[in-house]
Amino acid sequence: MDDVIAVEGLRKVFRTPFRRRRVEAVKGVTFQVRRGEIFGFLGPNGAGKTTTLKMLVGLIRPTSGRARVLGGDPGTLEVMARVGFLPEQPYFYDYLTPGELLDVFGQVFGLPRALRRQRIDSLLDLVGLGDAKGRVLRKFSKGMLQRVGIAQALLNDPELVLLDEPMSGLDPVGRKEIIDLMARLKDQGKTVFFSSHILADIERLCDRVVILHKGEVKHAGTLKELLTQGERKEILVAGELPDGLSGRPGLLATDRVGPGVTRLAVESAAADAMLRALLDARLEVLQVADRGITLEELFVKTAGSGPVGAREVAG
Amino acid sequence: MKGLFGSPRRVAAIARNTFIEAGRNRAFIGLGIAAIGLVASSMAVSGLAIADQMARVLVDFGLFAISLLEVVIAVTMGVILVFKEIDRKTFYVVLTKPIRRSEVLAGKFFGLAAILAIALVLMAAAWVGSLLLRDVPLRHDMVQALVLTWMQALLITSVALFFSSFASPVLSGVFTLGVYLAGTSIYVLEDLLAGRKGMLATNEAARAVAKAAVVGLPDLSVFNLGKELILGIPIGWDYVAAAGAYCAGWIVLFWALAALIFERRDFA
Repeated sequence: MDDVIAVEGLRKVFRTPFRRRRVEAVKGVTFQVRRGEIFGFLGPNGAGKTTTLKMLVGLIRPTSGRARVLGGDPGTLEVMARVGFLPEQPYFYDYLTPGELLDVFGQVFGLPRALRRQRIDSLLDLVGLGDAKGRVLRKFSKGMLQRVGIAQALLNDPELVLLDEPMSGLDPVGRKEIIDLMARLKDQGKTVFFSSHILADIERLCDRVVILHKGEVKHAGTLKELLTQGERKEILVAGELPDGLSGRPGLLATDRVGPGVTRLAVESAAADAMLRALLDARLEVLQVADRGITLEELFVKTAGSGPVGAREVAG
Repeated sequence: MKGLFGSPRRVAAIARNTFIEAGRNRAFIGLGIAAIGLVASSMAVSGLAIADQMARVLVDFGLFAISLLEVVIAVTMGVILVFKEIDRKTFYVVLTKPIRRSEVLAGKFFGLAAILAIALVLMAAAWVGSLLLRDVPLRHDMVQALVLTWMQALLITSVALFFSSFASPVLSGVFTLGVYLAGTSIYVLEDLLAGRKGMLATNEAARAVAKAAVVGLPDLSVFNLGKELILGIPIGWDYVAAAGAYCAGWIVLFWALAALIFERRDFA
């Protein structure tokens, strides 16, 4: 499998004019995206996801490091002719209708008029805007604009689709449609790179992910690789844990899960010793199970923040 | 195919969109209506003139009003259009298409050139109407004067686009107006530099600044031939062609500088 995106030691420092302030938004990021995969770029707000994406499409020049997209330099005409990009919260010429907007971009791509018309119609139908073709974008809701953004990102039938928070502003039906669309793009052999902080979407879709935090790659790999990192055992026991056992090494957490039942999360390496100690204390062991870390736990651990109540981590 | 400003196809796509934007912009339509009204009002101004001066006032005031309004449109639209794209982030989707930033600037310029041409035709129609109503004879060098007025507006548009490639709209507007005012006074500076009296003869620093302005700024008096029109001095198409070449040279220079800055700019 060849790399569609190869990023090596990518760094971006923003300098505030007239002040001597420097903000290092991306700190030497390295990762690769392989052809035909759905790649998730995960991180809390301010992690550097959008800045990295903008460097991949040539909107921002890196301070140092190197990025190759489809074998070329980001932002060049040859590369961008084969790339589709959806920015975060996209803004368009609101005096145009979606058909007119896509026609302007189609002209820029050099698509012949007949092909433009055909592709515009099919794309607007695909994103569910077939009936809104004649309305000016000024009158569109946020979710509808997001759909226009996805349509314009697919106008050139790109090999690589870069989507910055594609589910933003969409209702559950819209989200499901975009998830299905991404899966279809993968089936067509296209590579999809998308950033998100919605963990459920990443878990459902991605072959591989990178978790970015404060401008640095904290984790990279397949979901399986990431979620089996630090695998542990879950032990259910009848009754309460005596005080003597609650401080044992390898015991990660305890909680009450029902009347008279306690759940213990134990590091795999310490599980045998813990089981022996439980039996010595004459506690009834109800169940022992392997348990990997969830993406949510990994994310929260990486971001270093408190527990999250919902699957959507940040606004 | 690649022209001086890049791919004609891509430049035309942006130019067409710029033209549509202005056509659907209520502020611009209002400005256009006000401009036509102002030109037509030259009839009222001519009523204040003494009898044999009426034709002169109609010609002079009408041309002045057209020239001024063309510059106002050039400055406001030139400054606002690029700023709006950056401020509203519409550039994110445009600049990530296979198009050079210099082509986007060229497209903006040509779109504005078409808008200025339409505004000129409309104002000229109002002007000609007011001349005909007062039985002022029409002359072909009026067309030449109007073409020169349009050239001046194009040059000012390129200046506005240059400044808006790196400065805020307010600063871009101030700088562009500064270039316009200095450009219309270049001939005065040249006269003062040639003279042996006055501050420019004695103060070396002032003399250096004046010399830099003469060399580094376009001489806009080239495009203002209202006096010649009133006095009946023929302009001639050869003069218009030479002025066109002068104008094109400055436009290419300002566009190249703007493109150079714009290409290096981060859109964070």
